[in-house]
Amino acid sequence: MKYSYIKPRKKTPITPELQIIFTFFSMTLLMLFLTYTFLLYKDYTFEKDRYSIIEHKKELKVSIKKMEKQISFIQKQKALAEKIFTQNMVLKDSIANLFDLVPQRITLSRAKLLRNGLILYGITPNKDVYNFMLQAPLRSIFHKTYSSFYPAKNGWLMFVSTNYMDESQIEELESED
Amino acid sequence: MKIKISRHYLYILLISVFLFLFVIIFSFGILIPKGKQYREFRQELRKENVELRKYQDFYDETFTTLKDLQSKNRHIITAFDTAFNPDRFEKQHKVFFSSLHVSKIARSKNEEGFATYEVNTTSQMSSPKNFYDFLDALNKSDWIIGVNFPIDFKRDGEMIKSSFTMKVYTNNKDKNSTASGSVAK
Repeated sequence: MKYSYIKPRKKTPITPELQIIFTFFSMTLLMLFLTYTFLLYKDYTFEKDRYSIIEHKKELKVSIKKMEKQISFIQKQKALAEKIFTQNMVLKDSIANLFDLVPQRITLSRAKLLRNGLILYGITPNKDVYNFMLQAPLRSIFHKTYSSFYPAKNGWLMFVSTNYMDESQIEELESED
Repeated sequence: MKIKISRHYLYILLISVFLFLFVIIFSFGILIPKGKQYREFRQELRKENVELRKYQDFYDETFTTLKDLQSKNRHIITAFDTAFNPDRFEKQHKVFFSSLHVSKIARSKNEEGFATYEVNTTSQMSSPKNFYDFLDALNKSDWIIGVNFPIDFKRDGEMIKSSFTMKVYTNNKDKNSTASGSVAK
């Protein structure tokens, strides 16, 4: 026997209202969890990047220090090499000046260049030629000049001229170099 | 007045309240602090990146300076690194003299942090010009060499006999001791 003309509706605990609420909250929760996961992932990558940056910075610091050391060493080498090259050139000029200083009439047999002086051995026709043409210019350069003569076989005079500079002047010249 | 709510709606209300509370607590308790932390980390990373760029720029600048210095002073750097070889020295410089002899290499005290070796040299030349040319060539040689006092020039017939000491400068490393070793043979 039928009591109604319509079919009976099935009764379930999941009603449309419940479905709407579940849908709403599940979407909300999904968004929240996704955001949280995104933040967790980002924090992880930030930390990883930061660590790699710090490591890279450390490496760069070490390399920079190493290069700075190399630079200062090369500059030191350059300074010393230039000093030596200049000393060689100054020496060359000094020797050239010395040989230019000796007049035609005087013949040198030996020249000894010292750090603080010069010793010349040679032969001169007479003392005057030596005094005017060699000793005078030597006196203008050196502070102490000593000369000794002894006769040569041909009647000329053999001489030994010893000339010294003051230490202060040598230091001055060296600092100029 | 009595409000009549069916049991079904009461459940729905309870679930809704529970979920709502969960969302609120999760958001304010976890998500928002995490978001703040994220912002701080991002800021920190940016700072680190700026600093890294500065380091990188300084590194590039230093590297350029070093390479420039190395290329401009290649001869000097190589010369300081080269161990002195008397045979090679004689071979290279005998053109300036009638005879050249380099002997006795002795380690002397360090100068400005570099190892120095003293070398005695005797030579014979026809004119002082040879000695000037030798000094010019010395500055271009494979070693850093300075001619030292005393220098003795002695007339020997038509020739000039000279004897002097030279100072060879090398890098102050252990391998320099091998320099004297190679020289000794």
